[in-house]
Amino acid sequence: MAGRADTAAARRRWLLLTPALLVLIFAASGPLLIVVVYSFLTPGDYGGIEWMFSTDAWFNVVASRDFFDETVTWNDAHLSIFWRSVKLSLMTTLACFIFGLPTAYFIATRPKGQRDFWMLLIIIPFWTNLLIRTFAVMEIIRNEGVVNTFLINMGVIQEPIQMLFTDFAIMVGMTYVYLPLMVLPIYASLERLDFSLVEASYDLYARRWRVLRRVILPLAKPGMIAGSILVFVPSLGAYVTPRVLGGGKNLMLGNLIELQFGQGRNWPLGAALSITLLAIVMVALLIYVRQAEREGSHG
Amino acid sequence: MIEVTNVTKTFGSGADAFTALKEVSVTIRQNEFFTLLGPSGCGKTTLLRTIAGFIDPTSGSLSLEGRDILGDPPYLRPVNTVFQNYALFPHMTVAQNVGFGLEMLDKPRSEVQATVREMLELVKMTQLADRQTSEISGGQQQRVALARALAPKPKVLLLDEPLSALDFKLRKEMQIELKRLQSETGITFVFVTHDQEEALTMSDRIAVMNEGRILQIGGPRDIYDHPAERFVADFIGDTNFVEGTIRAIDGEAAEVELPSGKTVASRRQEGGPQAGAITIAVRPEHATLQAGEGLLSGTLSNIVYFGTDTHYHITLDDGHAFVIRRQNQPDARESYAVGDAVGVSFAPGVAQVLRD
Repeated sequence: MAGRADTAAARRRWLLLTPALLVLIFAASGPLLIVVVYSFLTPGDYGGIEWMFSTDAWFNVVASRDFFDETVTWNDAHLSIFWRSVKLSLMTTLACFIFGLPTAYFIATRPKGQRDFWMLLIIIPFWTNLLIRTFAVMEIIRNEGVVNTFLINMGVIQEPIQMLFTDFAIMVGMTYVYLPLMVLPIYASLERLDFSLVEASYDLYARRWRVLRRVILPLAKPGMIAGSILVFVPSLGAYVTPRVLGGGKNLMLGNLIELQFGQGRNWPLGAALSITLLAIVMVALLIYVRQAEREGSHG
Repeated sequence: MIEVTNVTKTFGSGADAFTALKEVSVTIRQNEFFTLLGPSGCGKTTLLRTIAGFIDPTSGSLSLEGRDILGDPPYLRPVNTVFQNYALFPHMTVAQNVGFGLEMLDKPRSEVQATVREMLELVKMTQLADRQTSEISGGQQQRVALARALAPKPKVLLLDEPLSALDFKLRKEMQIELKRLQSETGITFVFVTHDQEEALTMSDRIAVMNEGRILQIGGPRDIYDHPAERFVADFIGDTNFVEGTIRAIDGEAAEVELPSGKTVASRRQEGGPQAGAITIAVRPEHATLQAGEGLLSGTLSNIVYFGTDTHYHITLDDGHAFVIRRQNQPDARESYAVGDAVGVSFAPGVAQVLRD
């Protein structure tokens, strides 16, 4: 009897799990497998692939062979794009953290009835298309844009500051786009924070900064870790924002990959770069989570 | 030691305004176990939090050892709190929790460690020093919370219903433990509770509160035997209320005429009613039952045997109920039966004239 009930329960569990598993197999694992396979093939002349094994794509990810004398050198263009991607993503994560933490703290400390309103303000931009939001940022920072016009009219500067089509522009754009991803998890962990802990630390002679550093921040740590991951990962693969705000000069990994599948007509290289991106994300996350855990265990 | 003078606290404003404390004045002495007793919402926690510095009173003054501390934030007051839910830091070990206050006072590391060890010993938690606070039981958390609040050697320890989350047996144990800690450390304890028994067993003095006011302050015996107001008599222990009229007063003594027409010598509070219709309170165990006539007479309506004692429910001739509690003797036979005409008496000075 019990055995039959158990199998019935197990069958129900599997049934409930099936849609998610199907999505994972066909929409995630399947394509990923195809990408892995493609990265070991030869590019077709007009895009696509030819079914011939080759490791050229992987070689080309980090190195290049001179067209004439066949000397092997580091592929500076690719490496600088990797570096820029990682650097900009880290800076975006940091900027999101610096702006997001006070925002989340502010919302979490409002009276219960008001929090939803503030959360709504944070979420509203999500209702607009990413491209439109990015163009809005462009409108603000371009040479004839809001910021430059204002500064010139105020007499602070004579010439407009070139902000658009720089790394700075990409960072501003990504920070704006991904900020809610940092605010939401930090808010969630702060909201759960038992306020009597803050009172207890005041009572035990801790002043404001120490309460923040010794009690509030350590307890908000899970939210800060989650938020950082949620911002860092999509930043690394960002495509639209660097394309629009970087002006096609300051490529990031996403743009480089797109280039291989488009004008570059080198699908295997694109596939190899995609896997490289995946590897960078995984390594970064591993290091980050390890570090966070170690810090968490003694302080 | 602690001087609370005319403290009023109003929350909100306009129609929503709620006054939690109304002109409260109390002096808490050095090294005493002082209890704020009252039902929930009576303002006892508000008063405690005002002393701790979490609440800024609307008016009034507060001083500690003669120094006005009302302007000081909590971290400048030499006062520590044991919170109702303990509020232990979940990201620290037991020892780190206990050492937190000393660390915030920038005490040298060696002193922090020594005091932490001493405090953990005091509350018998030495073996669990390196546990996370989530890994210990409720009673142990309670001990850690106590050790944490005692570690910085505050002048006053405030305890906000610290025993309410514990089960009955543990609560009894902690009551004795708290008393021991108080006498061993010599720190003034201000204890908030709604449990009258807890207040009676542990306190040196009790302040009974209701609706934002302190109704009576006194030792446990004083409060129990000589309640000043109907609320106090009713809230602490069981009481019989009898209507009467004051015929004469002389200091604390009052001659009260009972509904039966007889008069009895009663006790009144200084500043209490001086004449007219009043209510007296008589504890069930302070009255005696007899066959026939007494100060009051009535009919036995019920006899309830409780093991240690027996409760006699009497319907008085004027229709009011009266309960007498009598301690049982070994192998004693019940000498009364329901329906008997009985008399109720109490010794001179036992009945207490109530205010209001």
